[in-house]
Amino acid sequence: MDHLIIGFQNVLTPSTLFWVTVGVTLGYVLGALPGLGKATGVAVAIPMTFYLPPVAAIALLIGIAKGSAAGSAVSAILLNTPGEPSSAPTALDGYPLARQGKAQKALKMGLFASVIGDFLSTLVLIALAAPLASYALLIGPVELCAILLFSLTFIGGLAGRSMLKGLIAAAFGVFFATVGIETETFIPRLTFGLLELDDGISLVPMAIGVLAVAEMVIQGGNAQTLDREAAQIDDSARPEDRRVTLAEWRRCLPVIGRGTLIGAVVGILPGLGASVGSFLSYGATQRASKTPEKFGTGMIEGVAAAESADNAVVPSSFVPLFALGIPGSVIAAILIAALVLHGLTPGPMMFLEQPQMIADLYAAMLCASVILLIVGYVGQRVFAQIIRVPIRLIIPVVLFLCCIGAYMTTNSLFSIYLMLGFALLGFFARKLEFSFVTFLIGFVIGPNLELTFRQSLQILDHDPARLVGHPIALLFGLLTIATVVWISRSNNRLSARRAAAQSAGTDQTAEHSHI
Amino acid sequence: MKRADLVSGVVLAVFSIVMLIAVIPAQIEPAPDGYVSPRLVPNLAMIVIAGLSLLLVLKNLRTSVVEPRAREAVFSRPEMIALLKIAVVFAVSVGLFGLGAPLAAGIALIAGTLFLLGERRPLILVLMPAGLLLMVWALFYKVLGTPIV
Repeated sequence: MDHLIIGFQNVLTPSTLFWVTVGVTLGYVLGALPGLGKATGVAVAIPMTFYLPPVAAIALLIGIAKGSAAGSAVSAILLNTPGEPSSAPTALDGYPLARQGKAQKALKMGLFASVIGDFLSTLVLIALAAPLASYALLIGPVELCAILLFSLTFIGGLAGRSMLKGLIAAAFGVFFATVGIETETFIPRLTFGLLELDDGISLVPMAIGVLAVAEMVIQGGNAQTLDREAAQIDDSARPEDRRVTLAEWRRCLPVIGRGTLIGAVVGILPGLGASVGSFLSYGATQRASKTPEKFGTGMIEGVAAAESADNAVVPSSFVPLFALGIPGSVIAAILIAALVLHGLTPGPMMFLEQPQMIADLYAAMLCASVILLIVGYVGQRVFAQIIRVPIRLIIPVVLFLCCIGAYMTTNSLFSIYLMLGFALLGFFARKLEFSFVTFLIGFVIGPNLELTFRQSLQILDHDPARLVGHPIALLFGLLTIATVVWISRSNNRLSARRAAAQSAGTDQTAEHSHI
Repeated sequence: MKRADLVSGVVLAVFSIVMLIAVIPAQIEPAPDGYVSPRLVPNLAMIVIAGLSLLLVLKNLRTSVVEPRAREAVFSRPEMIALLKIAVVFAVSVGLFGLGAPLAAGIALIAGTLFLLGERRPLILVLMPAGLLLMVWALFYKVLGTPIV
C-alpha cells in the first residue's frame, strides 16, 4: 500500500500526466479508426518512448492501450465497422442506435461502460497479480516449460477458426525466436552471415510489420467502402437522444457489473482475448433480458455489456504477464518489449526486485482510467469526426510512423527491411487466416520456452519417466493434450455445423433460382 | 478457403522439409560435446510445422472429396493492387534513403502513398508530407533533443 501511495505521487506529476493524456488521446483516435487497434498503436509507439523516463513511457503505452480499447466503439457505433474485433458486439446495438439519430447517447454509454470496466478490472489486477506471483516463485524450469507449452497450445487452439493453423503460427513464432546467437554455445543460428541478426530478430519492427503495415495494405484495398460508410453518418438534435437518462443508467449498471466480471475472468485466462469477453457478456445480457428479441435493434444495454467486458479484458490480461511472465494477449506480448526496454522484466521476480516500479505502473493505470473518462467525454464529438477522414489520408501517416518506429529500434535500414518482410508475412497470414496473435505470442515466449526446455532436459537427464517427480508439469502436460483434443473436437463440430448451414443455404438458393 | 488451405498446407510442408534437410544443417553448426544441440528447437519447430501442415493438407483433401471446394477468392483484387502500390512506394523510399536522402525518402513515402491511393489535391500532396516531417523534426530534434537520422 505504501508503494502505491508513493506510486501516485510519482505519477501525479504534470509531466507524467501529460504523457498519459497523450497516450489515451492517441489510443482513442487509433481505436476509433477501423483496423488500427491497441496492439498496432503500442507497437508503433514503443520506439517513441525510448527517450522518456520509464514511468512516463509505460504510462503512455498503457494510455494508448486503454484509449484504443474504448475508442474502438466509436467506429463500431457510427460505421458498423468495429475498430477492433472485440467491439463487434457493440455494433449490433450501437449502429442501430446511431441510425436512429442516437449516436451521442450510444457513444456516451460506450465510454462510461468502458471506463467502469477498465477501472474495476485494474483493481482486479492489483489484487491478484502479486499473490499469484508469490506462488509462481515455487515453480521450477520443468513446470514452467509445461505451463508455457500449455499456454501456447491453448492460445494457438483458440485463436482463429482452425486449431491447426493457430498451432502452425505459434510454431513459426517459436522458430523465429531462435534466430541469432545461441546463448549457451554462442553458435549463430539462421543468421545467413548477417551481423544484424546476431542479436536475433527485434520484436518491434516485427510487430509493426505484422500488425500495422499489413493492416494498412488491407485497409488500402478497402478504402472506398470505408470512406462511403463514413459519409453516411447521421445525428439527432433532440437532447434526450444525446445523453444517457437516469432510467437507462439504472438498467445498465448491473449489465456493466456483469460485463466487467466476465471481461476480467476472460482476460486472466491466456488466449481467450477481448472478443470472447465482449461476445460472452453481450450474450449473457441478452439471455438475462426480459426483452431479448429487441437486442440488435438498438438496445443501450447491448452497448454497455459489450464495452464493459471489452475494456475489462485489457488490465486483467496483465495478471498472467505480471505474475508468471506469460503474455496472455497480443498487447501483453508487445508490452513485454516496452517493459524490458524500460528496466522491468515481467515475471514473479519483478514484485521482489522492483515493487515501486510496479506500484507506479498500477497508479498510472488507474490514472489512465480517469483520464480516459475526461478525454473521451470532452473529445467525443471531435473523435467522432476523425472517422470521417478518408482512409487514404490516414494510411500514409501510419506508414510513415511505422518506418520511424522500426528505424529507431536499431538506427539502421535493416529494421525497415525486417518490418517489410514481416508485413508481407502478416498480409498473407491475415488473408489465409493464420493467427498473427499466436505467432507474436510464440515469438515472445519462444526464448523462455527454449531455455526452460533445455533446463528440463538436463534436470530430467533426458528421461521422460522422471516427470513423475514433477506433478505440476505432468498436470500441465495432460492439460495440453486435453486442450488439443477438446478444441479439435469443438472445431470439427463447428465446421460440420457451418458446412450444414452452407449446404442448406445453397439448396435454398438453388430452389429460389428454379422459381 | 479450402483450396487456399490446401495450397498453403503443401507450401508450408515443403518449406519445413527444406528447412529441416538443407537450411538448418547449413546455417547452424553442430554443438560441441556435452552441450544441447542449438539445432534442437529450430528442428523441433520445423517438425511440428511439417506435421501440422500435412494434417492441414489431409484434412482439406478429405473434406474436399465430401464437399465441393469453396470458390471465393482469398485475395481480393483491390487488396493485391494496394499491396503492389505500397510495395512500389517503399521500394522508391528505401532506395532514396540508401542514396543518403532521408528527407526525400520521407517525402516519397508520404506523397507517393497519398498519390497512389487516389489523392489528387495538390495542397494535400504538399502540405501533408511537409507537416508530418516538420512534426517529427520538432518532436525528436527539438523537444526530445535526439536526432534520429
